[in-house]
Amino acid sequence: MHILLAEDDPAVSIVTRMCLEKIGGHTVELAADGAEAVDCATRRSYDLIILDGMMPLKSGLQAAQEIRAAGIVTTPIIFLSAKIDDRDVASFLSVGTGFIPKPFEPTEICARIDDILANPPTSAPQGILNR
Amino acid sequence: MKIRTQLNILTALIIGGSGFAGYQAYDARRELDQFERAMNEAMETRSILLMIEELPYHDETFRRLQVERDRILEPERKKAFADAIRSYAARSPVELRRSIRKALKVESQYFLNNRGRKTEIESRFEKLILLSWGSLAIGLFWLLLTVHASIFTTVGRLSRRMMDFLVDRYSFQFSQPDANELGDLQRTFNALAQKVINTMDDLKRLDQAKSEFLSIASHELRTPMTSIKGSLSLLTSGVIGPLDVNALRLIKIAEGETDRLIRLINDLLDLAKIESGNLPLSLRWESWDEFCGKTLDGLTGLAMKANVRLEQMSLPAIEVNIDRDRLQQVITNLVSNAVKFSPQGGIVRVTVGRSTSGDLVVSVIDQGPGIAQEDRDLIFEKFRQGASASNPIVKGTGLGLAIAKALVSEHGGSIGVDSEIGKGSTFWFTLPQWREKALAEKKAA
Repeated sequence: MHILLAEDDPAVSIVTRMCLEKIGGHTVELAADGAEAVDCATRRSYDLIILDGMMPLKSGLQAAQEIRAAGIVTTPIIFLSAKIDDRDVASFLSVGTGFIPKPFEPTEICARIDDILANPPTSAPQGILNR
Repeated sequence: MKIRTQLNILTALIIGGSGFAGYQAYDARRELDQFERAMNEAMETRSILLMIEELPYHDETFRRLQVERDRILEPERKKAFADAIRSYAARSPVELRRSIRKALKVESQYFLNNRGRKTEIESRFEKLILLSWGSLAIGLFWLLLTVHASIFTTVGRLSRRMMDFLVDRYSFQFSQPDANELGDLQRTFNALAQKVINTMDDLKRLDQAKSEFLSIASHELRTPMTSIKGSLSLLTSGVIGPLDVNALRLIKIAEGETDRLIRLINDLLDLAKIESGNLPLSLRWESWDEFCGKTLDGLTGLAMKANVRLEQMSLPAIEVNIDRDRLQQVITNLVSNAVKFSPQGGIVRVTVGRSTSGDLVVSVIDQGPGIAQEDRDLIFEKFRQGASASNPIVKGTGLGLAIAKALVSEHGGSIGVDSEIGKGSTFWFTLPQWREKALAEKKAA
């Protein structure tokens, strides 16, 4: 799968990319902030877009909205975030296809991606704890 | 005007008014007596005058008549009476009759005068009585009005406003406090209300700051944990390349400790959320068997690793009104604790019963070493753990039971432990909201 990964934290970015490439066997392209993510997403086509929730210039949520507004409506968007309050999660799921809380296991993220793509959630789950 | 001043003036008026009326009445009474006496005297004098017309002259009679004459005070009457007894002494019947007639006329005029005055005073007396009753009635009416308007009305309003405080309505202030003692009370109330409002605002700000802090801390702690955990997992999984045995051992330690740190962060944030009331429950009726079974399914891996068997008492008819995710956390906590402390080949049982107060009691029974009496309350506090686990598969954060306690109490229940050293422990918690499905269905049918 050809994946766009937007993540501002370089350490998280490197590790996540390695997880996706080494375990999931995907091809990953990196964006360092929200603006760059919108830029990449509108210029090339991807099988999946993964956005960090909090990024400089544009938040993941904003970037997702702009990508969708730019006419890219079929590419699934999954959010990665350490902000896991009910409200945050609900707003992520209102725009995106899925949400994966940080921190995650490398194997887990690949499995979760497959899972989300196979069964996109229909509604936001209510009040999840930090599990 | 101050209520005290009003009451003082009123009291003074009532006392003064009734004193004045009383004095006047006394005075009138005295005057009346006087007239009564005068009228009696006039009657007496009249009968004497009528008598002497027929009486033959006698010295003794004359002397007594003279005494009678001296007792008369009014000059006109005295003169007429003196003329009459002088005619009596002169023994001239014609003269006597004439002077007696004249004296009788004077007497009768005197009588009439007195009667007129008496009637006048009597009517004045009646008016005074009327006046004093009237002023008393008006005074009492005023008193009632004052007391009612100022005291009862204001105090009633004040107490209603104070009741508002009990239901968290603090916004009311008396915009125009009365100019009396109750006004002082109203001003004090205003100051108190303001203080409460300020305090509530401070609390709200504090609460907001706390939530913000939690949110930021949560994000800032999780982000580095993501790359640490990811890196270590990638290394141990072998996808990066083979590691030598010692390096792998060290990295596995680092990975385990990272997991522990993540659990601690999660538990701390959970507890902070529950305690600040930021975690509303979404209650739903769930079948106990299904819920408990699924929860224990998630723990079989842990139990198998520890060589411990999980047993669930089946009660298909029981339904509980719970927040599934939260209660799952409670049971996971209690069962994984029980597994941790169980001996090899031990059994952990989850049973359900009914307490004396009618609540559902869920018990997690283990065959572990038991918990000393003095530790039984401590273990529910944060960062307090009893004697260390004999079977340390997962190191605890010291927050699990504190979270379980908070979650159970959010469900309206209580949590506790019974234990016998060397035989095992029973952790139990109560759920007030439960029902028997069969009964509920029967009722519906």
